[in-house]
Parts: sequence; C-alpha cells; structure tokens
Amino acid sequence: MKAVQIHRPFRSRRAFLGKAATTGTLLGAGLFGPRSAHAHDRPNQKSPNPIPGGVAPFSPFGVFIHHNPLNAANPLSALNDPSQITDFQGFVGLTHIRGGGTGINTVTGETMTLGFQADVGFNKGEFIATDGFQYRGTFAFV
Amino acid sequence: MHIDVNDVFWMIPVADDAADVEFDQQQASLRVNDLMVFDDHDVANSLTQGLGLPGGLGFTYPKIPPVAPGRATVSFDVEWNSPTTSAQINNDSQQFKGSFLQVSATVKWSADQPGFHFESELPDPSRNLISVLGYEQNGVFFNLAG
Repeated sequence: MKAVQIHRPFRSRRAFLGKAATTGTLLGAGLFGPRSAHAHDRPNQKSPNPIPGGVAPFSPFGVFIHHNPLNAANPLSALNDPSQITDFQGFVGLTHIRGGGTGINTVTGETMTLGFQADVGFNKGEFIATDGFQYRGTFAFV
Repeated sequence: MHIDVNDVFWMIPVADDAADVEFDQQQASLRVNDLMVFDDHDVANSLTQGLGLPGGLGFTYPKIPPVAPGRATVSFDVEWNSPTTSAQINNDSQQFKGSFLQVSATVKWSADQPGFHFESELPDPSRNLISVLGYEQNGVFFNLAG
C-alpha cells in the first residue's frame, strides 16, 4: 500500500453513552475481546477512522454508531453521508434491503423459513488511517 | 458483526477486487466469500456489546436478553444497478461531497456457524428498500478541488 502522511488533529474515538450494567455483569469479560472479527488474521490492514456523525438508536444504552442509515422517505438530494469512513475519497455503495431464506439445523436437518432485513455496502478508495498515512483499500459493510 | 476498535461501524477490510465499481455504467457489485465475522445475534446486542437491553425504566425499547457473540462466516453477492435518480451533493455541515445515484439492488447471501446454515432466496429487485451508489470525498478530502 502507498503511504502518504497527512496531519490530522487528534479527536476522541470512543463515545459510549451508557450500558445496561445489570444485565452485562452476567456475561463476563469475554465479550470485550478484539472487536474486529479475526483481526489477528490481518495484521497489515490499516485502520480507518469513523465519520464524526451518526445515530444512537438505543440511547442511552449502547454505543453511538458512526453511520447514517438510509431513509427511503428522503430524496436523494437530502442524503446523509453514506460512508462510515471519514477522510475518504472513493466509491461507496449502500443498500437497505429485506428478503427471506431458509435456515437449516445442520445437526438435525430441520429447515425453517426465515426473513431478514440487512444493511450492506462497501467503501473502495483512498483513506487516511489512524496512523495518519494515506492508503488505498476496500471495506465491506456487513 | 462487531464495531471496529476505532469505532468504524460494521466495516471489515476485504480484498480489493471484492468490490467492482463501474460508475460510468452506473453499476457495482460486492462479492465476499466465507468472510469471518462475529455474530452478535441482534442489533441491540451488537450495539451494547452483548449486554442486551433491560426494558422498562421509562424507555421505549423492549427487553432484549444479553447474548454472547459467536463466530460465523458469511458470503455476500450484492449488485447495484438501474439508477432512478442522480444528485450532486455538497454537504458542508457533514463535510462530504460527491456524485450519487439512487439505484436498485439485489442481495444473495449465506451464513454458517456451528450447527446452522442460512441461505437467502434468489436475488429479487423488489426486495430493495433503498440503495445508493456514489463517488464521494469527505473529511480532509472534502476541501480538495475536484
């Protein structure tokens, strides 16, 4: 990856709004391990920064999410930033979609009809990573 | 899916060719196979890091029991195409600008975790609620010319 350093002022990363501590104590500390799935498998990946805005759908519980959900009621011209990554230039795709499918218990063979609603997308382009350098990368929003 | 340690929401690095964009042709695709993720079970547990929601206490949210995350793999095949609207946006308050298309989209996906497999229905454009495709600049790139 090509790296170019660009100065960026420090800002706070985590924005916890609160937690349901009474229920959380039942679960132990195992939930607070590495949050990027299997991150140890990709040690050379450079981490982008989140967009500053977003929503807190369960305020005051849960984390503030740096994401602007698509709203079918709004015209495209009123689109909020569809990227989850800031300091980014490139292509972004985002979809809010629903559908159905089949779940299979692979032990018993039992099948069940299931529905889903999903937000899926991608960012592909250049970004300034947490180390202040510029990289090219592709990220899936899943 | 967990939230990245830097607070980037539900994004995971993938191979560069996983996303194929032909913006001039007003289409794009995302294909990932056997992507390893954490399954947080539901949105509430993802956003509370497995703590669930207590319910009551004067809040409108229902009680969501805490659920520990599990390992899973997912495969996605998403297509964006057939634009209906386009817009040039320059949003000073959110510091982003770019060319955007409102498009149709389809998704075909599957998931696996120990003891369970899910396979979605075949791609169906009528399932699209809203989708966009764009080229944008935000953050430090917002004030760059072009």
